[in-house]
Amino acid sequence: MAEDRDTLRLEGVRKSYNTGTPLETEVLHGIDFGLARGEFAALIGPSGSGKSTLLNVIGLLDPPNAGSLFIEGREAGRLDDAQTTRLRGRAIGFVFQYHYLLPAFTALENVMMPVLAARGRPDEEMRASAAELLDKVGLARWRDKKTSELSGGQQQRVAVARSLAMKPALVLADEPTGNLDTKSADGVFEALREVNRDSGTTFLIVTHDPRLAQRCDRIIELVDGRIVADHPNSPGGG
Amino acid sequence: MNRYAPFEWIAAMRFMREGLAQTLLIIVGVALGVGVIVFMSALIAGLQSNIIRRTLNYMAPIVVVPPEQVARPQRGDEKSALATLVQPRSQQLRSIDQWQKALAQIRRLPDVAAATPVVSGPGFALRGDASNSVSMTGIEPDSYLQVIGLGDKIVAGRLLLGASDIVIGTELGKDLGAGIGDKLRLTTARGGTETLTVAAIFDFGNRGVNERNVYVGLRTAQNLLDLAGGVSSINVKVQEPFAAETIAQTIQGQTGLQADSWIKTNAQFFTAMAAQSLSNTLIRLFVGLTAALGIASVLVVSVVQKSKEIGILRAMGTTRGQVLRLFLLQGAFMGLVGSLFGSALGWAFLMVWRGIARAPDGTPIFVIAVEPKLFLIAAAGATLVGTLAAVIPARRAARLDPAVAIRG
Repeated sequence: MAEDRDTLRLEGVRKSYNTGTPLETEVLHGIDFGLARGEFAALIGPSGSGKSTLLNVIGLLDPPNAGSLFIEGREAGRLDDAQTTRLRGRAIGFVFQYHYLLPAFTALENVMMPVLAARGRPDEEMRASAAELLDKVGLARWRDKKTSELSGGQQQRVAVARSLAMKPALVLADEPTGNLDTKSADGVFEALREVNRDSGTTFLIVTHDPRLAQRCDRIIELVDGRIVADHPNSPGGG
Repeated sequence: MNRYAPFEWIAAMRFMREGLAQTLLIIVGVALGVGVIVFMSALIAGLQSNIIRRTLNYMAPIVVVPPEQVARPQRGDEKSALATLVQPRSQQLRSIDQWQKALAQIRRLPDVAAATPVVSGPGFALRGDASNSVSMTGIEPDSYLQVIGLGDKIVAGRLLLGASDIVIGTELGKDLGAGIGDKLRLTTARGGTETLTVAAIFDFGNRGVNERNVYVGLRTAQNLLDLAGGVSSINVKVQEPFAAETIAQTIQGQTGLQADSWIKTNAQFFTAMAAQSLSNTLIRLFVGLTAALGIASVLVVSVVQKSKEIGILRAMGTTRGQVLRLFLLQGAFMGLVGSLFGSALGWAFLMVWRGIARAPDGTPIFVIAVEPKLFLIAAAGATLVGTLAAVIPARRAARLDPAVAIRG
């Protein structure tokens, strides 16, 4: 049973590709785990272990082949495309390895984008809350710059701010610092941590970087599509 | 960011501004296409209405004549004729039976604008040593002028047709050396001869007409052609020149006379016009198709280039419908803006053409009516074509699987 206090709950989630063909491969073999509200967890594992697939399934980008997925206590597996899109937009924020900001828009407008898409028309409140988010990731001064004029670390921080625009319960970050130098990576990671502390948003961060994982509250290790380790971690203590 | 614009509009505008060079190129392409279409359509419409107008200047849309005389073969019994070879009868000049009644009947028809009785036949115009064969038309000036715009074509003298007056064309005047007030003799094969005074000279702008046609009073022509009290034909003007054939058939049915419309008597001319219209339509079709392909290809490229961004938009909660509309809007916008510039361009072409296409005396060779309707149709058409051209790329964008788009 999914507990109401859980932001995320997976029960027996399986995911295969090329289903129904001789090339069928099961990537996730029954995943069970949950994230409580406000958790800051790292998902680690070697390449090809299924981390990104798991993230896509949790992010409602790829439907699971079996098992149940609950977002804030709501069964997400039985929704149609429009409902899935709505739930994804409302409850889940994404940060990818690459920022994927829209180059045609300014930093502020990029942060407004998810709310704009959901509400249809821009308004002052939207602008104000986007500005607040940019402020939070330390980019208040750059908000009217085109994203192409920002540095890699700044772009990724804009992406972090954007992922928070809809005040999601859960933010999924796929190698958020993978493309950055150590200093920028630290800045982005700090931004994530701060948001987690201030707003109680739940984070699941996929990373290769053991240094980064050690700074999370919980470490989930995925190997060959199975969770092999899942333990709390005290950042700074390692 | 315009606060009143919806998301799709804002994003569509930004996407187009981002690929400004592409967007401008395709808008210029659409503009050129629309310009050509507008120009060609106005030109050909002007040309055709001009040709029709000029043709109908000296030709009645419908000419009603007595039914043709046919030779009736003698028959032996029910089945076989005695004569197997029947020579067609020569058509003698005859009056329309009870023409006053027929004229009144024709004038009552709703689509008929005017009708006038005419006595026409061949004759010779003689002056001194010169003689010319002419086609003589005896008219009732008041009603005739309502059918044929002879009044505007008078270049000298006054159109008054007394019993001994004649109106001739410029060429005939030259051939006979006759001017206003000069006398000439008109004879016909039926033996009639009259000495007539040139009352006016006309110029229809057609050498054949100016050389052959002469106008005399109805009475005079009746005397010359030995057709006392009769008329050889009734000329009919209709409200809508292109409906002439159906009206002619109505007249034929109601009066029992033979009614020939200008559409039937100028079949070649109409075929040529139809061919012209067809080629115009084809050119429009291909220009439209080219513009559509241009818009579609630009958007297809844009979808491929932006597939990751579209995937992100989808991941952030943008619906398929929003993505679809976002691209349809771009197509519609490029079509509309292109057509606005194109209309201006077409209009400019027409103005330039007006300046160039002038007769030596400075008057326009023909009038092109620039109808606002044409621009409206062009704008609506281009917008529609742009939207349709965007359908395939837009659907492709909307179908993008966000997970695949981001991963790939």
